[in-house]
Amino acid sequence: MSHGDSKVTVETENLRREFESKQGKIVALDGVSLRVKEGEIFGVLGPNGAGKTTMVRILSTLLLPTAGTARVMGYDVGKEPEKVRPLINSASGAERAGYDFISARGNLWFFSQLYGLPSEEAHRRINELSAMLGLENYLDRKFYALSTGYRQRVTIVRAFVNDPRVVFLDEPTIGLDVMTAISIREFLLSQAKNRGRTIILATHNMSEVDAICDKVAIIDKGKILACDTPSALKRSLGAPALVMEVSPPPPPERLEMLAKLEGVKGYTSTIDEERGISRVQVVVNSDDTAQTVLEATRKSEMNVLSSYRQQTTLEEVFVALVGRGFREREHEVAA
Amino acid sequence: MKLQPSIWLRTAYARMWVRTKSIYGEPLWVVVTIGFPLFTSLAMALLYRSTGLNSAVGFAVLGGVMISFWGNVLWSMASQFQWDKQQGLFEIYISSPAPITAILVGMSLGGIIGTAPSAALVAFAGWVFFAPPINPFWPGVIVVFGLTLAALYALGMTLASLYLVYGREAEALNEAIHEPVSLLSGVYFPSIGGFSPFPFALQVVASLIPLTIGMDALRRTLFALPGLPPAGFDAIYLHVIALSVMAGSLLVLAQKALKALEERGRRTGTIAVRQR
Amino acid sequence: MSNVRSILASIWIGWYRDFSWTNPLLGLSLRTIPPIASVMAASIVYWWGSFHAGVFDPNRLAYIMIGALLYAHIAAYSMIPNLAIAEGKWTFVFTQVYMSPKSASPYLAGRTLGSFLSSAVTLFLALIAVYLLLPPLFGTSIPLVVTPLSFALFGLALVVNILASMGIGFLLGAYAIFATKFEWALPTYISGLLMIFSEALFPVTFLPGPLSQIANVLPFTEFIRAARAAMIYNDVSSYFYFLGLSAIGGLILLFAGLLAFRRAENRARRLGLLDRKVA
Repeated sequence: MSHGDSKVTVETENLRREFESKQGKIVALDGVSLRVKEGEIFGVLGPNGAGKTTMVRILSTLLLPTAGTARVMGYDVGKEPEKVRPLINSASGAERAGYDFISARGNLWFFSQLYGLPSEEAHRRINELSAMLGLENYLDRKFYALSTGYRQRVTIVRAFVNDPRVVFLDEPTIGLDVMTAISIREFLLSQAKNRGRTIILATHNMSEVDAICDKVAIIDKGKILACDTPSALKRSLGAPALVMEVSPPPPPERLEMLAKLEGVKGYTSTIDEERGISRVQVVVNSDDTAQTVLEATRKSEMNVLSSYRQQTTLEEVFVALVGRGFREREHEVAA
Repeated sequence: MKLQPSIWLRTAYARMWVRTKSIYGEPLWVVVTIGFPLFTSLAMALLYRSTGLNSAVGFAVLGGVMISFWGNVLWSMASQFQWDKQQGLFEIYISSPAPITAILVGMSLGGIIGTAPSAALVAFAGWVFFAPPINPFWPGVIVVFGLTLAALYALGMTLASLYLVYGREAEALNEAIHEPVSLLSGVYFPSIGGFSPFPFALQVVASLIPLTIGMDALRRTLFALPGLPPAGFDAIYLHVIALSVMAGSLLVLAQKALKALEERGRRTGTIAVRQR
Repeated sequence: MSNVRSILASIWIGWYRDFSWTNPLLGLSLRTIPPIASVMAASIVYWWGSFHAGVFDPNRLAYIMIGALLYAHIAAYSMIPNLAIAEGKWTFVFTQVYMSPKSASPYLAGRTLGSFLSSAVTLFLALIAVYLLLPPLFGTSIPLVVTPLSFALFGLALVVNILASMGIGFLLGAYAIFATKFEWALPTYISGLLMIFSEALFPVTFLPGPLSQIANVLPFTEFIRAARAAMIYNDVSSYFYFLGLSAIGGLILLFAGLLAFRRAENRARRLGLLDRKVA
C-alpha cells in the first residue's frame, strides 16, 4: 500500500525525555524526530533500554516529554491529552491486564465502556475482532482460566475495540508461541491495510519488523540511527554479511581486531555451547572486505571451521550502525 | 463510529458491573468476606454480655455491620489503584478518555452493592443470637446510613490517590490503619460525646473521620441511650450536616488529588509499573 | 544439617517479609499499632459495659489486656504457612521450594518461626504501650505482675505455644495446597473462632454449655490461661498446670498438622496440583 499521499498521524520533533535516578540523570530519548503516515505499520526497533517503551508511553499520553513535541492526529500529547485519548489505544506484551473473575468478553466490554461505546456496538466489535484472532470460543471463559496466549489475544482485541486511529504496541508477541505470534501479525496487517489504522510497533524482534512493517526506525541509546523501509535499510549495507564458525570460541578481545579492519562496519557473535563454536557475523561494505576479514581471522590463529555469505538482516543493519549486536548492546547497558 | 456523550455514566456503570459481577459471580465471596466482621461482632457482643449490660449488645452488632463497609473501603477502594497499577490496569484508565472519578464512583457503588449481603448477614446473625433491644427511628437510620456510606466511600476515593503515591506496601498500610480507625471512630462503643472515654482533643480528631460521625448518629437513631434526646432528626441534624459536608469535600479532594497525581505521574514517569 | 539451613534461611525470609519496609523502624511501628488498637478497643468495650452496669473491675481489665494481646500474637503468626503457600503460588516460590531437597516443611516451619519472632517483638512493645495508655484513660491502675520471673514465665509460654500455632499452621497449609482462590478465607474463620473460643476476651463459661467444653480442650485456651497465671494472678503452680496442658495439646496439634500436610502434599503431587495456576 502506498502511503505517499496519506496524512501524517504521528509526528515527533526533537523529542527528549530525561529521568532522575540515584545514578544521576538518564536520557531515555535524545532528540527523536519521526513522521508516521496513516495506515502505516511503523516499527521502532532496538535493544532493551534503547528508548522504545519511553517513546510509546509519551505518544500514548502516559508520560510528558522533557523537551520537544509529539503530536498524534494533530494534537499535542503533552498539552491536549484529552483530545488524543479517544483516538488511540495501546497494548504491551508484558501486560496481562484484566479482572480475573470476569469472562474475557466481560473484560473487553468493560474496556470498551471507557471509550463510551454503546453496548451493542461494543459486542459487535468484540465478536468481529475475536473471530479474527481465533478467540471466539474462549470469550466466555474467566480471565484467570485463559492461557498466556489467549490472554494476549484478549489484550490485542482490547487495543482495537474502540476503533482507534492509532495503536501503540509494545512487544505484543513476546513470550508467545510461533502460531499465536503469526496470527497476531496477520491481524495487525489486516487492521493497517484494510482499516487504515496507524500502528506503532515497538519491538526488538527483527523478524517481526521484517515481516509486517512498512517502515522501521532503528533506535539506540535514545537516538534514531536510521529510518527507512526494511528492504532499503538492508540494501544500504552494500554487501552480504560474512559469517564464520570459529572453534574454539575466541575471547572477545581477539574479535575486537575485526572491527578495526578497513571496510568492517561491525560484528556480533554468539556461542553454540553444544557444538563448542562461536558464530561470528561481520558486516562488511564489499566482497573484498569480506576476503580481508577471512584472511585476518586465519592469520590471528583462530580456527575457522566454515565461512559463508548471508542475506542481510536488520540485525546486521544495527551492527553496521552501532558496531555491536543487540546482545552486546544490552550487556553494555546492564553493566 | 459515533461515541455517545455519556462516557462518564458508561464508565461508572461498567466499573460497578465489574465489581458486582466479580463478587456475585463467585458465591463464595460473600462467605469469605463475612468472616472477620461476623466473628469480631460476636466476640464484642459476648464481651458486652459478660459485663451484664445486655442493652449494649446492639452496639457490637451495629459495629460488625459497619466494619464490613469500612473493610471494603480500605481493601477494595483505597488500595485498588495501587493494585491496578501493578497489573497494568491503571495506565489503561489514564490513557483512555474515561474520567477517573467515574471509575472511582463505579468502584464505590459496586463495593456497596457487593458488601451489602455480608453486612446484612452480620446484622441477621446478631439479631438471631442476641436479639439486641433497639428503638429505631427508621427515616433517620436510612438517611444517616446512606450519608455515612457516601462519606466513607468518598474517603476511600481520597485514600486511593494517597495510596498511589505512598501505597507500595498497601497491604501493610491497610493493616496499620484498619484497627486504629475502628478504635477512634467508636465502631463498638461511643467514642465522641458524653459517653466517650476519650479526652476532648482525641474526640475532636476522631470527629474528622466520617465513620465516627456516622456511628454516633446510627446509635442515636437505633438505640435508646440514657441522657440523650429520643431518636429523631433533632438528635442527628448536626451529624447529617457534617456527613454531607464530608462527603462533598472528600469527593472534590479526591478529584483534585487524582488530577494532580496524574500530572505528577506523567512528569516523573511513574504511572506505569513494569510487571513481572 | 540441610534441614537446619532451610529453616534458618526461611526464618530470615520470614523476618524480612514482615519487616520489608525501606524504613524498618517505620515498619515496626506500623506493625505494633494494630494490636495496641485492638486491645484498647476490647478494653474500652469492657469498661463501657461494666461501668454502666456498675461492675467495673480492674482485674478484668488486666484479663482482657493479656488475652487480647496474646490472641493478636497467635493470629499474626499461626496462619503463616497458609499465607506463605498462597503467596508462593503467585510468585512461583512455592514450586521451587517444594522441589528442593528438604521440600516445603522446613520452609514453612522457618517462615512461621520468623513471623513468631517479629510478632513477639511487636507483642512486647504493644504490652508496654497498652500498660501505659490504659490507666490514665480509665483512671485506674492495671494489676499486672511485673517481675523478671513473670516475664520469663510469660516468654516460656510464648515459646511452648509455638507447637500449637505451628500445628494449626500446617493444617491450614494443607488446605492452601488445594485452594485455587480465597486461600486467606479459612484462616480468617479460624482466627475468628479463636477470638471467641480461646478465652481471649471473656471466660468460656459465658458460652453455651457444649461450646465452653470445646474451648477447654484448645491448647490456645490453656496457653492464655498460663500467661494470665504468670502475669496477673502470680500463681506458679496453676501456670505450670496450664502450660503442661498447652504443651500436650500443642504436640497433638503439631503432629496432626504435619501428618495432614504430608498427606496433602502427596495427594497434590499425584493430582498435579502443586504448580497449578491460581486466580
